Amino acid sequence: MLRRRKLEDFSAELRAHLAAETDRLREEGFDEAEAGRRAHLNLGNLMRQEETFYEANRWAWLDHLRQDVRYALRQFRGAPAFTLTAVLTLALGIGATTAIFTLIHAVLLKSLPVVRPEQLYTAGDGRHRVYSGMAGDWDIFSVDFYKYLRDHTEGFEQLAGFQADPRRIGVRRAGSPEAAESYIAEYVSGNYFSTFGVPAFAGRAIDQNDDRPSAAPVAMITYRVWQQKYALDPSVLGATFQMNGTAVSIVGVTPPEFFGDTLRGNPPDFWLPIASEPAVNHAGWVNNPDLHWLFVMGRIKPGADVRTIGAQMQVEVRQWLTDRSGLLGPTAAAQIPQQKLHLRPGGSGIGVMRATYSSGLELLMAISGFVLLIVCANLANLMLVRGLARRRQTSISLALGAARSRIVRQALTESVMLGLIGGIAGVGIAFAGTSALLSAVFTGASSVPIGAKPDLAVLAFAFGVSLITGLVFGVAPAWTANRADPMDALRGGSRTATEHVGSLPQRSLVVIQAALSLVLLAAAGLLTQSLRNLEHQRFGFAADGRVAVRIDPNLAGYKIDQLEPLYRHIRERLAQLPGVANVSYSLYSPMSGSDWATDVTIDGQPPPSVDGQNLTSWNRIGPDYFETIGTRILRGRPILEADTAITRHAAVVNEAFARRFFPNEDPIGKHFGVGAAFSKSFEIVGIAEDAKYRQPDRPVFPMYFIPRPQVTPYDEAGTRAFESRSLYVNDIVMRFGVRPESLEDEIRRAFAEIDPNLTVIRIQTFDTQVQSQFSQETLIARLTSLFGLTALLLASIGLYGVTSYSVARRTREIGIRVALGADRRSVVAMVLRNAYGLVAIGLVLGIPFAVAMGRVMGSRLYGISWYNPAILLGAGVILAAFALVATIVPARRAASLDPVETLRDG
Amino acid sequence: MSTRVTLLQGTLDVLILKTLVFGPEHGQGIARVIQQQSEDVLLVEHGALYPALQRLEAKGWIAAKWGVSSNNRKARFYTLTPKGRKQLAAESSQWRALATAIGRILGPESTES
Repeated sequence: MLRRRKLEDFSAELRAHLAAETDRLREEGFDEAEAGRRAHLNLGNLMRQEETFYEANRWAWLDHLRQDVRYALRQFRGAPAFTLTAVLTLALGIGATTAIFTLIHAVLLKSLPVVRPEQLYTAGDGRHRVYSGMAGDWDIFSVDFYKYLRDHTEGFEQLAGFQADPRRIGVRRAGSPEAAESYIAEYVSGNYFSTFGVPAFAGRAIDQNDDRPSAAPVAMITYRVWQQKYALDPSVLGATFQMNGTAVSIVGVTPPEFFGDTLRGNPPDFWLPIASEPAVNHAGWVNNPDLHWLFVMGRIKPGADVRTIGAQMQVEVRQWLTDRSGLLGPTAAAQIPQQKLHLRPGGSGIGVMRATYSSGLELLMAISGFVLLIVCANLANLMLVRGLARRRQTSISLALGAARSRIVRQALTESVMLGLIGGIAGVGIAFAGTSALLSAVFTGASSVPIGAKPDLAVLAFAFGVSLITGLVFGVAPAWTANRADPMDALRGGSRTATEHVGSLPQRSLVVIQAALSLVLLAAAGLLTQSLRNLEHQRFGFAADGRVAVRIDPNLAGYKIDQLEPLYRHIRERLAQLPGVANVSYSLYSPMSGSDWATDVTIDGQPPPSVDGQNLTSWNRIGPDYFETIGTRILRGRPILEADTAITRHAAVVNEAFARRFFPNEDPIGKHFGVGAAFSKSFEIVGIAEDAKYRQPDRPVFPMYFIPRPQVTPYDEAGTRAFESRSLYVNDIVMRFGVRPESLEDEIRRAFAEIDPNLTVIRIQTFDTQVQSQFSQETLIARLTSLFGLTALLLASIGLYGVTSYSVARRTREIGIRVALGADRRSVVAMVLRNAYGLVAIGLVLGIPFAVAMGRVMGSRLYGISWYNPAILLGAGVILAAFALVATIVPARRAASLDPVETLRDG
Repeated sequence: MSTRVTLLQGTLDVLILKTLVFGPEHGQGIARVIQQQSEDVLLVEHGALYPALQRLEAKGWIAAKWGVSSNNRKARFYTLTPKGRKQLAAESSQWRALATAIGRILGPESTES
């Protein structure tokens, strides 16, 4: 940037003036020396002139800024402890807030990367997921049901249907020597991509022509897989892939940012038309009008009224069900008038994750807000202490003629610079924090739909916070600096003996910090204890030394009558592995994320009058199952090898089942079943202890276990379909005496021997399965503890700062006291008393807030009451201990002062 | 009576502009001209002159260029810009009106003392 006129040019002009004026005066008769003197005198002080010129120059502010910045940097170098503390404090606050905010933005606020997301609406919130029977509140539909809604609802431009739970399939490029790998595929309707307005990144999108039963199977590959697995090889487009053994041609690539309709870990890798489901999935879900597996998402016509559309769809739901009532049975038909459908905005996707995480994330946001508050308080405190410590210097500067505005500006520059440096460091922490948070939220996911980089809005937020903080903190010390009286400095202002422990704002800040720290510590204590309760509760099964191997013989093309030999073979083969004590299998293992539930009718008791009245979980198991997973049989007998397809249908029930249905009777020997006509299907042969299969924070649900091969010939098509499906049990469970090193390899090798087509979907220890149930609780408890510790540390730093400052200010007073005979212990006690006064006020103020915070978190706590005096006391003790460390150092320094020294140079 | 009067704030600007009507002039020359034309009544403080020139130049009323003066010295010559000429006309009439008004209030000189 060029200045309009250079100072040198101005100086030259002044010199020219002097020469001309000297000439003139000489002509008037003055001698050379006198002429020069008079010319100078008349012009005035040359330097003053130049300075006036310089000040008037419009670019001078830039030079001032440069000076201020240089000066500030010198100040920072001169006080490295202060600078480091301030920058770290700020970076921590901004980084943590940004990381949390990025996650909240991505999970709770962000729209899908599609065209005009605000026009998209979906049915329900994606949480009910009743795959058959009466949903009550409908969100998931069969293919026929979806088509009925699509063809009868006029308010939608388009209504797309798509698989609610995308599954893994085996994928192999045709002609490639590699083995098939498992990828996640989602079946979508032909108008799926046009509804979202998402074009293909390369090739073409799936369209209506692909979604016909007669069409040759096609698929779209995601950009991510195209890039990671095939290095963007263009020949993938149009290539034939084997998907579960069926030839499918790849027609297009989805855009890089598109992760589908739902925010979740492991988003789909491939997209297939619904019509290709029978060919690829080999299950024929498409043809079962009572099997509900599709979510819907529609784009409304401009100007259409959402409420009208919702009401119309509700009518359609009842109409469709009425048309099918002959096949649904009388119990179901009676409930048709109660069936509902709620349209919700779908622009941010199906809200599964939002529903699961929103309360947790909101809690974290509140906590990070607290931390940011503490950060602000601490920085303000640091700046105040520093500003006051520099008061004398400022006074001298003022006395020497520095403009007050200039001194305020200097202080502001310093604060803003600190804010900026802290902000930049904070963004660094935010990057690291975000990716750590993402991997914690999407535990075990191999791919995550959200990038780990804070997006622009979040970055702006962070910088805004850092700048505003910088400015706010700049005002206070600059303002006090401006009030400093130059005479103070010359009189020796630091001699005053009447100073308290810091100024009022400083003391208030320490009190606030102590109070906030107490709140956070108490919250962290409650959450940690709650997590510990969850983890160490009685699960009713043993987690250590157990492994679950998930397979799907259905995908490998097994027929029902081939299953018994297969499972027998698996048990025999796996039992040969070194270290294996037991092998069994079940439809699903504990904490695996699955749950099958149905209404039961107890023989001799009235059948359920409403769906869900007698809802119980159920499971199919193999022989030796309870022994393998470590669940005790309390009475009767377990399921045995002798329970085969042709023997009497037996069932083992859990304690909750016994309590719920036989409160005053012995359940053994009693009968129950599914549906009034089948109430004698199962005879109870044993009672197993309660074991948690889902939701570790809820009481155990009633549950019954039946032998894998026993089939009940139901007459409802939907129930029959489930019955057949349930024969394909998925989890092989194993117990080890000594866990072999190469366990996974051994297991995979064993399965490859049994049948190379039988893909091992995952191998997981029970420990991992259990841990993954707590991922959210663990994340929140850990972060809260981390924040609590940060707050504690910051508060201690603040207290230390204020105490050392007050000690420094009272040097003279302390000197006099010591000189008058005060012993060192009483000096230490005096300093401690002052500091502890502040902490005590903070504690008293913090307790009601801590209790209120516990009340707010109440619903998240397990096995612990929201009001817990022990934890509150613990938090107070920790705070007091840290305060002691923070104050004892300056107190001892005060006590070791030499009275003579302090009086001499005070 | 030959009292020397120090210039009122703002007066100097108008005098500089007026001086430059007769042609380009350098700083020392401007001061001399003002002093001579006011029959040595007005005293131009040289210390105030250059900031004033600087100000007028920034406003675009005068322009400057280095040249050589009559006695063969390098000097920075100032000329009146068209914008400056307009400004001078406006300020001159203002000054005349002000001077007349104040003159009327003060009345004839003889009544004083």
